[in-house]
Amino acid sequence: MSMRVVDVRGRTVTLAEAGNGAPLVYLHGFADVHAVAGELLPFHQRLARHAKVIAPAHPGCNGTDELDSCSIDDVIFHYLELLDATGLARFDLIGHCVGGWIAAELAVRHPERVGRLTLIGACGLFVPGEPIADVFMHAQPERGTDSSSLRSLLFAEPDGPVAKRWFPDGRGDLDEEVRRYQMLRFGSFVGFKPPYFYHRELRERLYRAAMPALVITGERDRMVPPAHARTYHDELPEAARLELVHGAGHAVHLEQPDKVADRIVEFHKQHRDEFADAQFDATTHA
Amino acid sequence: MAYPHLPADFDERYDTGWVTVPNSLWDKDKSRGLYQQFIDQLAYADEIGFDGMVLNEHHQNIYGLMPSPNLIAAALTQRTKRGKIVILGNLLPLHLNPLRVAEEYAMLDNMSDGRLIAGFAPGSGPETFNYNVPSAPTRAQFWEAIDLVERAWTEPGPFAHEGRHYPLRYVNPWPQPTQKPHPPIWIPGSRSRDTLVEIAKRGHCYFLSSRSHGKETARSQQLFAQILQEHGDRYTPDRMGILMSAYVAETDAQAQAEAKEGVWYFLKNCLKGHLRREGRQLTFGPGIPYIAPAEFRNFLKGSDPTTPLLGDAETWDDLQESASIIVGSADTVYRRIMDILTHSKVGNLLIQFHLGNMPDALTRKSMRLFATEVAPRLRADSAALFDREFPDTARAREMAT
Repeated sequence: MSMRVVDVRGRTVTLAEAGNGAPLVYLHGFADVHAVAGELLPFHQRLARHAKVIAPAHPGCNGTDELDSCSIDDVIFHYLELLDATGLARFDLIGHCVGGWIAAELAVRHPERVGRLTLIGACGLFVPGEPIADVFMHAQPERGTDSSSLRSLLFAEPDGPVAKRWFPDGRGDLDEEVRRYQMLRFGSFVGFKPPYFYHRELRERLYRAAMPALVITGERDRMVPPAHARTYHDELPEAARLELVHGAGHAVHLEQPDKVADRIVEFHKQHRDEFADAQFDATTHA
Repeated sequence: MAYPHLPADFDERYDTGWVTVPNSLWDKDKSRGLYQQFIDQLAYADEIGFDGMVLNEHHQNIYGLMPSPNLIAAALTQRTKRGKIVILGNLLPLHLNPLRVAEEYAMLDNMSDGRLIAGFAPGSGPETFNYNVPSAPTRAQFWEAIDLVERAWTEPGPFAHEGRHYPLRYVNPWPQPTQKPHPPIWIPGSRSRDTLVEIAKRGHCYFLSSRSHGKETARSQQLFAQILQEHGDRYTPDRMGILMSAYVAETDAQAQAEAKEGVWYFLKNCLKGHLRREGRQLTFGPGIPYIAPAEFRNFLKGSDPTTPLLGDAETWDDLQESASIIVGSADTVYRRIMDILTHSKVGNLLIQFHLGNMPDALTRKSMRLFATEVAPRLRADSAALFDREFPDTARAREMAT
């Protein structure tokens, strides 16, 4: 695994990379690489056995420069510039939470560049009566030190070891605290208003994202209600079966990393992408 | 201007006094005449010789019942003759177009015959939530809005404003303010260096929004002075103000006995959600990520989340230490405030007299004692202090007269 920085039109972007083969771009959420952890997590490592995982840190996160203007549109252009700068003409795409929203926006704009799309606990849609929970309110600790309500948004087991490892009570590791803050700040720029982590027009545009797609959600996701995954699943023309992971919350890939990674690998095998698989075969048989 | 009719067990039953505190607690019958009482107290301040009356803007809370300070200011223009009307301030990002604020402030300046002090604030955590105003991106918007208002007051209209956030073809507000070049502009800030730099760039005044005054207040003044100097400007005491609460009575013991109920009501109820660790603090923190990450890192290094806040005080001794709510005889209150002025060299004191559910009669008595027995000594002694500390300013004043 390696961390490197790339220059994108004068801006610094942090990339975490692992594995060989077809390029798989991973866009992170709140409980994730770059947002809490400074490096790739077991979920990404498992994917890296089958592909070249490329996980950029969002603007302002983990060493990536902030954007002067950071609307969802600015962020899409930022990613197009990054993809161009790193020579990624075509790639598989996975996004979690806000990263899922960005992935969906990229897929509807440039369907020709995305081989296979996976959305995990993705926000981005307005689903009437199913609001995305207020992560900012819950990020304010209770009694000054208690982060349990934030953990309960992000994890099925708010007091379990994974939840407490990444969102501890009281003051945690300084670098991790700052990374969590930077991710909330990015979230505030891109998704606070208007509207709240969604883009009303996205739903009507999903017909354009006609690549094979896999939609995954923790059945106990209390941040992005599973109704959002169902809507993505219904609107994406080539969506495979909706993957509802039992016993998992919003950070389903942290809570059940092997299961989620294996499901994605299986999905990629079921939906061979000529371009991507040629690259994978070339690297594995070399 | 707190809501004074909360149930006695509010603190046990409700986890916050801000944003989500249920408005079914509003008692329309008990609240009849409440705004009249606020306005009367402020008019009384003018009558007994205070330099000005300070209003602020808050939404959806029991701490300050003034979503629109401009309405109260309008009433004061008709009830008062002399004192400044200080609005600290209109929350610019809550307005679709800051020109509306430029217009209302210009009206108030005319209606008061040039007595307006124009404050602008970006809104803090509570407004982030209750008006859905994102904390981080609105900072840039805020400074553009201030500059647009200042332009609208000083540059002949109509002109076009090619701003990023408020592009306008025809900026030409009628009326124009009475004061020239424009009413003094005040901007509240915590201790963010970025805010002080923006204030210094524009030559405006700084109001430190902290409620507690220890060494940090002096440090803020020194930082502001240093930043002003970096911008070719010079600190003078009139450029900065601080916030505190006071209660004055005939003796220390009497002051404590009379103030006690209002003070504890204010601390335990009104500060819950703001300056108390109990419940969820909504004024600062990771969910309101408006300060730059490097500043947040410094904040984390220099703070401990288990440290009690003002509203966590359990005893009068705790309160005395924070130098925030100063209660005592005229002598005591004079001495303690003079001590703060000596260390911080701040020229403007914004003093809250009505605390929580304090009865009107006691509030007025305290205001009167302050105006007659504390303020004259503070004025004289601080003038002497500042003449010693800032001899250039003193000389300039002598030459002007």
